[in-house]
This record gives sequence, structure tokens and C-alpha cells, in this order.
Amino acid sequence: MGIRNQLAFFSILLLAASVEAPAQTIAVQGGNQIIKLTGGTPIVDPMVSSNTTCTLQWKRPKNTAKITVSTICPGQKFTLKVYAINAQDGDAAPEVTLTTGMLAVDFVTNLNGNRTKTYTCTLRYTASATYAQGNSSELGGDDVHTVRYTILEQ
Amino acid sequence: MAVQVPQVTTLRLMTLTLALNVSAINAQPGTDEITVTDQTSQLVWGINGSGKKITASTSIAAPIFTLKVRALNPTKGTPAPEMILSTTPNDFLMNVGRSTGSCILSYTGIALASRGVGADSHVVTFTVVNQ
Repeated sequence: MGIRNQLAFFSILLLAASVEAPAQTIAVQGGNQIIKLTGGTPIVDPMVSSNTTCTLQWKRPKNTAKITVSTICPGQKFTLKVYAINAQDGDAAPEVTLTTGMLAVDFVTNLNGNRTKTYTCTLRYTASATYAQGNSSELGGDDVHTVRYTILEQ
Repeated sequence: MAVQVPQVTTLRLMTLTLALNVSAINAQPGTDEITVTDQTSQLVWGINGSGKKITASTSIAAPIFTLKVRALNPTKGTPAPEMILSTTPNDFLMNVGRSTGSCILSYTGIALASRGVGADSHVVTFTVVNQ
């Protein structure tokens, strides 16, 4: 093998080595939660209740990143929204209305923190239902959401 | 994450205690029957179940005087005809399933001058039931 070919081969090896596997991790802590809408007095329509038990943890990838959110909820009947509270890195997007089958939308943007550190935010879920919408028993059961959080380069 | 909505039925009376005073001022010359009406009370409800109605009853089995009630100007539902309150629940307001609303409680006390004086103390109960 001539010198020129050897140099070309070495350059290619360097280029391949510079591509890193991104260290992207994201996880929800807090388990499956149930928001129960029970009304009360004074009578307020719609009924609204929030849950802030769960947190989201992440490590950002190499470049500026963001977190998106979407949901799947077959036969969704009631309204569910989510918002990032006290995000330790980045900017919380406006509260997101979770609609089954939606395209992923921004949840936390401009993640620029230390790549070796794990950051968190609190997940504030807010559910609502009008009296006119009915109740779980008559409508075939509760709304069960599989909410998906994805971290990706912005 | 799950959203659970149980069946919710809430009734609220905006005036808990009411006094109907039938006096001579309400009497009409030559008429034995004296009536007085009160429309200062309000009933408010929130019901997320289907096919519901509201009934009304009283605690007194044999009152001295007659007490009637009807739903006036309901924002939802269909008012039943004015009824004489008895210990048996009777239809008061129909078709209030999956709704929030309010109505005025129109009470009419009827006394016969020939019956003399006295007092009835009613505990009126409104109940949401299946229609």
C-alpha cells in the first residue's frame, strides 16, 4: 500500500472516531398516578384537579437540546394538560394540552447545562372535565394516558 | 397517568331556613283560603350522570297547613307541576342529567281560616334520582 493510500486510510479512521454516541437519558419518576375529579362546593364547572407527584429527570446530549411531549390515550374523553415546574435547566414551554395521537410538542427548551449532570423538573398534570361530559363509568372507563417525553437536539 | 371521573351529584340550597307566615294580611274577604308565596330560596346542582331528576319531600306526614313547591326559572331541566309536599318524594325537576344549573324554589303556604292558628316545621328534602 502506497503512502497516499495509507494517509487516506488513517484520515478516515479519525473521522469515524470523532462521532460519539450521544449520552441521552430521560426518565419519569413517581410511577403511575391517578387524578380523580370529584367536584365539591361551591359547584364549579368544569371540575379541575392537579397532580405534582412526578418528576422528569434528564441528561442533555452534546448540543443544545430540548424535551418534547406527546401522549396516547385510546378513547380519550377528558382534558389533561402538563407543565414543567422548576426546571433546573432550560426554559419551560407553555402548558401543553395532551391529546391522544398528537405530534410531539416542545415541553422544555434550550437545555444547555452541564452534560454530566442530571437535571429535573416537576411534572404538573392538570385534569378537567365538565359535568356535561359525563363520568368514567358511563363512558367506558378512565382515561389512561401513556405520556412520552423525548430529549433531542434542538 | 390516568384521569378518573366518578359519578358526581351535588345539590346545594342557597337558603337553608325559611319561614312562611300566613297571616290575616294575606286574607281575602269572603275567602276561607289564605295563601302566601316565597321565592327567595334557590337550589343549585351539579350532576355528571345521565338520566337524572330531582324529587322533593317533607318530613311532616300530617301537616296542619298545606305547603306546595315548584321549580321556578330553572336554567336547565324541565320543571314538574307544582306539588303538595308529602313524605313521599315526588318529581320536582326533570331532565337534569349531565348538567349544572339552578332554579328558584317557589313555596306556597296555604291555610284555611276555618282551621285556626298553628305552625308546621318542615324539613324539605331534595334528592337526585334516576329518571
